[in-house]
Amino acid sequence: MTPNSTKPKEFKDDFWKAKDIKFSFGEIIEDNSPASEDKETFVGPTLKPSATDLRSWDMKLLERYPPFYAPFCDMCCLCTYGKCDLTGKKGACGIDIEAQQGRFALLTCCIGAAAHSAHSRHLLEYLIHKVGPDHPVDFGNNIDIEAPIIRTLIGKAPKTLGDIREAMSYMEEENLHLLSACHTGQEGNHLDFESKAFHAGLMDHIGMEIGDISQIAALNLPKGEPDTSLIELGIGSIDRDKPVILCIGHNVAPGSGIVDYLEDNDLEDDVEICGICCAAIDITRYSNRAKVVGPISKQLKFLRSGVADVVVVDEQCIRSDVLEEAQKTGTALIATTDKMCLGLPDRTNDEVDSILADILNKRIEGALILDPEKVGEVATKLSLSLSKSRKSIKTLPDMDEIQEEASKCTQCEWCVRVCPNNLPIMDAVSSAGKGDLDAVESLYNNDICYTCGRCEQECPEDIKIMDLMSKVGENNLKSQKFNIRAGRGPIQDVEVRRVGAPIVLGDIPGVIAFVGCTNYPNGGEEVAKMAEEFLKRNYIVVTSGCGAMSIGEYKDEEGKTLYEKYSGDFDARGLVNLGSCVSNSHISGVAIKIANIFAKKPLEGNFEVIADYILNRVGACGVAWGPYSQKAAAIAAGVNRWGIPVVLGPHGSKYRRLYLGRPDKEDVWNLNDMRTGKVIKGEPAPEHLLFAAENREEATVAIAKNCLRPTDTNKGRQIKLNHYIDLNKKYFGVIPEDVYKYIRTDKDIPITYKNDVKEILERNNWEPRELVMEPSILDFPEEE
Amino acid sequence: MNDRVIPWQPTVIAGPKQALLATPETAKLMLRKSKRPLFVVGPYAKNEPLMGLIKDIAEAWDLPIVTTADTFKSFNENGIESNYYGIVEITNLLKDPEWKGIRGEGPHDLVMFVGCIYYIASQGLSTLKHFAPHLKTLTICKYFHSNADASFPNMKDEEWENYLEKMSEK
Repeated sequence: MTPNSTKPKEFKDDFWKAKDIKFSFGEIIEDNSPASEDKETFVGPTLKPSATDLRSWDMKLLERYPPFYAPFCDMCCLCTYGKCDLTGKKGACGIDIEAQQGRFALLTCCIGAAAHSAHSRHLLEYLIHKVGPDHPVDFGNNIDIEAPIIRTLIGKAPKTLGDIREAMSYMEEENLHLLSACHTGQEGNHLDFESKAFHAGLMDHIGMEIGDISQIAALNLPKGEPDTSLIELGIGSIDRDKPVILCIGHNVAPGSGIVDYLEDNDLEDDVEICGICCAAIDITRYSNRAKVVGPISKQLKFLRSGVADVVVVDEQCIRSDVLEEAQKTGTALIATTDKMCLGLPDRTNDEVDSILADILNKRIEGALILDPEKVGEVATKLSLSLSKSRKSIKTLPDMDEIQEEASKCTQCEWCVRVCPNNLPIMDAVSSAGKGDLDAVESLYNNDICYTCGRCEQECPEDIKIMDLMSKVGENNLKSQKFNIRAGRGPIQDVEVRRVGAPIVLGDIPGVIAFVGCTNYPNGGEEVAKMAEEFLKRNYIVVTSGCGAMSIGEYKDEEGKTLYEKYSGDFDARGLVNLGSCVSNSHISGVAIKIANIFAKKPLEGNFEVIADYILNRVGACGVAWGPYSQKAAAIAAGVNRWGIPVVLGPHGSKYRRLYLGRPDKEDVWNLNDMRTGKVIKGEPAPEHLLFAAENREEATVAIAKNCLRPTDTNKGRQIKLNHYIDLNKKYFGVIPEDVYKYIRTDKDIPITYKNDVKEILERNNWEPRELVMEPSILDFPEEE
Repeated sequence: MNDRVIPWQPTVIAGPKQALLATPETAKLMLRKSKRPLFVVGPYAKNEPLMGLIKDIAEAWDLPIVTTADTFKSFNENGIESNYYGIVEITNLLKDPEWKGIRGEGPHDLVMFVGCIYYIASQGLSTLKHFAPHLKTLTICKYFHSNADASFPNMKDEEWENYLEKMSEK
């Protein structure tokens, strides 16, 4: 019995003898929500799992894919014992460099998971306030499994917004435990840190799912329809003659407040609402009249252009100096969440007119307004007032001024040295100083320079390099217009039924998810080119967030974007924009659905069986070509724990930790055949769980290879190997020598490459091996 | 501070252990002392004059070459023998003291890098600094790599090419 519990004898006290007690009940609420299924459901062993409940699964993954560490720093700087030098030594608390890297992996994933989850809690409570806790989570007849992650982890499907709180509370408790493990003097083993990092990733996925299903249900966003509207994208698509409101961040609530106010007051045609980052994508899911300026890489370019009359920021991925940048062009700024108050006064409870007057008269630099409806009214009224007075400010300095400033360049080269990608900024600036803008233009196009602004901060001559970049962009506005398909949200059950078999058997060679941020090594076009390469080869390509926008900013030789060329169906040659960052939950979600709908695996409390199924059978590969945020790290850890490999761009090496397989160690790849009870010699498929490629060419080949799975049929394996060999020949000039590892019998050999592959088989003393019927890395069940 | 011996990207400074400045002479001394050296070559070396210089160095010192990213294709088309790995894959193998090396003769005791993307090379060198005490790392890029055991300084192209030419004189 717990200390505060009631003992039976306490019921004998005077209370029960009292007279005239009146009981009052609150309103009795009839449950009108959709009826749950009454049939008895199998429940697996891990309902609401703690980190240690899934530890055995993690250790199996980590045995196959041991962590590879690349320390950013030799030291630990977290407590007052230190700094401690960890090069071959332990810290004063006893931690070694491996555990320290594991700790950073956990910390990074905790930060990422917290960002999504706190956003989701915020959003969920706002939406419950707006539409009520009984608002149904119902995505129509084509989607029975609205929340596959919640169903697997919590053991039941939320029927209403209020039901979602149970998953939220579970996840918040887990996140607290995980963060606490980062404290000095807690966890000491790197593999256990990694196991907890996986758990943080899993919590991130539940957090993202909560965010997206809540907003889909309450704001009536698209419910998995493949043919959502085409949305205008690009700086050139913004009508500068209208008052312009720019939303930056990830939380749709303030943006939806603005859209509502515009619609309620018949102002939709009079005010331009646009966004950067995921807020942009989510607002366009709410209203197809909104526009997407672009991914995070457009932030400084667009702010400096001065086009926005009002900037509304919510949370995540926003420049910390956004207020300072807004002030440079006389743009008003409204902060809208507790995550980012920017030192502004809280005016949530003040009259709208009073807030407007104070901002317009510059008595305050901006306002913190925590009520999305009030944000809608204030932002709109501000934009209408400011657009008249700001007409002259909406232009950058003229070209002569820009050129004169650029001519101050002394060619010290520090701009190049501090550039994350060592871009030839110095040459571009000094050429611009002589009136030649070609070099700047080549950096501007395709976001090769994503305007982080480090060069400008470093320049000893204070040359406004970002102004130069924005000015050049202004010269080419007409070409900066594109189309992106609005985010559709989840994949429909009917689509999973249709493609489940071809994916698991290998007829569809893979599902490739381009997600994440814009810290690209060589511009955004590379993401689109990778997507195009796989679309042409019949893969399913899914995308979200900034990755989805980068793909939209590319036009082929016919002048069409990939969204205009390929359908939004979750099928071979489909380009599926899921939505924003929180929509990434639908990537693990669809893999889970394949296990459930196609293979009839029960979800509830059954994480390990589902993840094992995905690892061995679902040929999916995530790609984060420009990862920069802690959220991207958490997303990757989450999909990794579900059994999906991820390929990162070269900047991903700065996450300090990868999970690499060792194809040369054959025993690691053995599989348990659950049908026959035999241990079967396996293959490195997928080869790595988390891998960073140095350039696009290497990544493209790695992506194709990481779609191979032990369960491929002979025909499916031929198809997948055909693409792997093709791409290897294209980018490396030869048939890959390791192809023999993936040939199980003669029937696996792609017909096109039969003779060449046979030579490789002979050279490597290949012998046929048994096909595994039901591959698993789980232990065989114990006999009763 | 001497700009030549702070990391090319200055924020790469990782802690108390910094690379020694290498000249062609000290680099050659390291190669001479090594029993099983390896040459890892990245995508900046896909074109001339670097590709030819690398070929000469590898021949002079009988170095097995690993090409990272898609560098293999250019080398193969130009008749330069190499093995291809991702830069993180080869780093992962190098940190394993039981790996038998490219020629299967035993673990490498020296790895010399050139032509990889600066920041990913820097991360890989950090891995080897911490987890591969059995081997030395040397970089002959035109950038100073503080995470290596020894590195050429930051240089302009002309001086660097001069350094590389000296490396092929045994």
